[in-house]
This record gives sequence, structure tokens and C-alpha cells, in this order.
Amino acid sequence: MIRLINVGKTYPNGSKGVENINLHIKKGEFVFIVGSSGSGKSTLIKLLLKELDPTEGTIIINKVKTTELSRKGIPYLRRNLGVVFQDFRLLPNKTVYENVAFAMRVIEAPSRIIRRNVPAVLALVGLGKKGKSYPNQLSGGEQQRTALARAIVNNPPILICDEPTGNLDPETAWGIMQLLDDINKRGTTIVMATHARDIVDAMQKRVVTLKHGNIVKDVEKGGYSDEA
Amino acid sequence: MRLSTIKYFIKEGFAGLKKNMLMTVASMIAVAACITIMSFSYCVVTNLQYMLNQMEDSIGIAVFLKGDLTSDEITRIQNQIKGLDHVLDASYVSPDDALDQLKDEWGAEEDIFVGLDGENNPLSHSFKIELEDITYQDQVLQELQNIDGIENMNYAKTETEVLLKASNAFRIVGILVMLILGVISVMIIVNTIKISVVNRRIEINIMKYVGATDWFIRWPFLIEGVIIGLVGALIPTLIGWPLYAKTVSLFYEYLPIIQNLAQFKASGDIYSVLLPLSLAFGVALGVIGSVTSIRKHLRV
Repeated sequence: MIRLINVGKTYPNGSKGVENINLHIKKGEFVFIVGSSGSGKSTLIKLLLKELDPTEGTIIINKVKTTELSRKGIPYLRRNLGVVFQDFRLLPNKTVYENVAFAMRVIEAPSRIIRRNVPAVLALVGLGKKGKSYPNQLSGGEQQRTALARAIVNNPPILICDEPTGNLDPETAWGIMQLLDDINKRGTTIVMATHARDIVDAMQKRVVTLKHGNIVKDVEKGGYSDEA
Repeated sequence: MRLSTIKYFIKEGFAGLKKNMLMTVASMIAVAACITIMSFSYCVVTNLQYMLNQMEDSIGIAVFLKGDLTSDEITRIQNQIKGLDHVLDASYVSPDDALDQLKDEWGAEEDIFVGLDGENNPLSHSFKIELEDITYQDQVLQELQNIDGIENMNYAKTETEVLLKASNAFRIVGILVMLILGVISVMIIVNTIKISVVNRRIEINIMKYVGATDWFIRWPFLIEGVIIGLVGALIPTLIGWPLYAKTVSLFYEYLPIIQNLAQFKASGDIYSVLLPLSLAFGVALGVIGSVTSIRKHLRV
């Protein structure tokens, strides 16, 4: 599903984001990318989203060599990738329903399908009754659920999460993790960057540990590595 | 493109205009100023051109022939003149006709021409030349000099030159002013839409992440630009049209003599060209403005 071959990213100022990354993520996997700040987690996420291009190596996502993809091809690549951020990134002047519908409108889904899918996804993330609320009327957890609903409403095969629980209290964070686990069980591949030790330890999923831009550890089923 | 998508673009476009009302109005005024100058230059240049065309009949070129030519030679010269580029017609004026014309012009004092009839007529054979366009006068004069049998030529050099120069000067000044104002309008529109873009940066960012194409993001801003351009172009046109008609009627009222020289072009004729021209120009300004302002923000 996702394959990185000898991927390196050196920023124009000379600092190295990541170095010599070789990573293979299979369909349906749930992978944590862990590491302290500056370890290269964010760079890796940005490379997957093609927000950045690597200076070396090849990235293949869903059989497409994204390193060879033109600018025009990026939107179609991103339709395969749901994204969830630490800061939710909801549109404050749109309701929960509109925030989710927005993601479908952008890819020009028919109104009929939008009207059918949005309520279904909102029910799935536990916001069935919050469709008419605005983001500032929601708790942090509910906002992240909205963002999650937006990320999966187009049914992408891959979900990329950048510190999705970073702004949430432990209990709320745990709720989000269960939701992610449910989504994963329905077949969606999940890549999640985090430094939440307790969550990683509790989930017992594959853990890839980054340090100074290199993969220092890759465990099939494990907890948060002390090397991070 | 889906109908619902088009509806969405239009809704978003209008929302953007409303959110930045002040800059929207500023941009519309900038476009309106630009179009006003364009309309003014167009009116002046078109009318000068129009008047020149009317005067052509009275101006024309008169060619006088040498005295000792046979009628065959005169016909040959006439054909040569008619064969020149940009010459519509060359009508023959015999010495007798010319004398009759002189007598008409002198009216009561035609007595002075007594005894100049027939054999004693001192006037030459001549041609009145009609041109396609007064701007070709110099070129035709040049070519006439190469024709044998022509003694001299008479033409309204100063009038033509003044009118031609005025028309050209107005055209050049008009184009220059339009260019400068055009750049200023584009800059103001770019700024308006830039503010709109900055306000919606998060939105554009999210759109990019969920896989919106650049064109999907661009359309609402494009619609914003087109509306600014259209409104900015319509205002000076709707004010200018009756204003032009009024100005012309005032000219005729207070300077009736001008009617003997030349007529102004009718307001309908002017604005049937100027209206679509202004709208196209306004839309172009709006589109250029919006496309340039959004380009940078699409690189996410």
C-alpha cells in the first residue's frame, strides 16, 4: 500500500528532515510513527501527503510513484488519503454537517450521495445529533471526531493522522483511538504519528521509531520504544 | 461540471465579495475609472475619425492638367489616377465646368469673368479625386507626382494634418492612460482578492488536503473577479451613454456652426461598440486580478 525506498529529505537550509528511510506498510495495517519532536515524524507525514518532495529515493502509494507525480496529479493522490491533524482544522463558519459535506463537494460528489453519506459517517463517529452545531459549540473530542468524519467520508484506503490526540485529554483521546481502531478494522490502512506513550503501549500495533531522521526500530506488535 | 458544483462556486464567489465589502467597492471603482478613460478616448478618437470621413468629400484632391493635352491623353491620365490604390473616383472637370463653378461662387460679381468663355478660357482641365480614407492622402499625392501631364495639385493639407494629428495624439494618449489605469486596477483587484484568499487560507488548505483540484479552488475567486469587472464596467457605461447623448445635443445647441462642418456619431452607434468592449475589458481586468492573486496560495 505504502512503500518508501531509500527516501531522504534535506531542506534548502541544509538540515536533514529524514535520511535513508525504507518502509513498507501493507494494506489494512495500523502503524504508529513515534519519536520525539525533531525526529522526522512531521517530515515523513508531509512526504506521504506530497506536501514535500524527497531529495532522494522513491515513494509509492497505492501503486503510484508519487515522486514522479506532476502537480496536476496531486489532488487525485490525496483523494486516496484521509488526513487528520492535531489542530482539527475545521472551518469555523460551517456546521459539522457542512464541514464534512465540504470534503465531498470538493471532489464533486453528487448532492444525492452527499445527503446519504454525511449523516452515516457522522453517526459512525458518534456525532449523529451534532450535525447542525458549529465547531466552537463542540468539545475538543467532538471537533476531532468531526475532522475524522471529514477524513473518511470519501472512503479513502489510507488514513494519515498527525498527532490526532495531541490536543485532547486522555479519556477523550482514548475515544478517538477506539474510533480509529474501528475504522482500521473496516479495512482502512492507518498511519499515525504520535508521541503519546500510553496510547501506543495500550494499542499493541506496529511501531516505527524515528530518531534524528532515521528509522531506529520497527516492531510488529509493541509499545513505545525507549530509544525514541 | 455538476450543477451543484456551479451553484457552490457562485455562492462562494458572492460570499467572498460580501466579506471584503470595502475592497470590493474599491476594486469596482478602479475598474470603473479605467473604463471611463477608455470610453472617453474611444468617443474622441471615433468622432474625429468620423468627422474626417465626412470632410473627405469636401477636402479631396484637385489635380490640374497641362494645357496642351489631347482628349485621349486626358482619358489616359484619368484611368491612371483611377487605377491608383485607395482612389475611389476621379471625376473630370472641363475648363467650361470650372468657369461655371467660379461664376456660381462669385455670384453677383460674375461680370469679371466676361470674355473668358470658350477659346479664351484660361482654366485647365482638372480632376476631382475622391479617396477611400483621408489618411491615404500623402501616399496618393506621392503617386500622382509620377503621372505625366499633371501640372499641379491642390489639397487641404493643413486641415487634414491637424485632424489626423489630433486623432493620433488622442489615440496614443488614450492607450497610455488606459495601460497605466489598467495596471492600477489589476493591482487593486489583486489586493482585494488576496485579502479574500488570506481569509480563506485554512479553507484552501483543507481543500487541498481532501483532494480539490486547483481549478475547483480557483473558480469562486474567478467569479469574484468577473463580478468586480462587470459591475466596474457597467457603471461608467450606463452613466456615459446618456451623458454622451446630452453632450452632443448641447454642442449642437450652443455651437450650431459645428453642424455645418461635421456631425457627431450617434450615441447608439458609439455605445453599441463601447458596451461590449467595456464589459470584455472589465472582465479581463477582473480575471487577471484574481488569477494572479491566488497563484501563490495554491502551492500547498
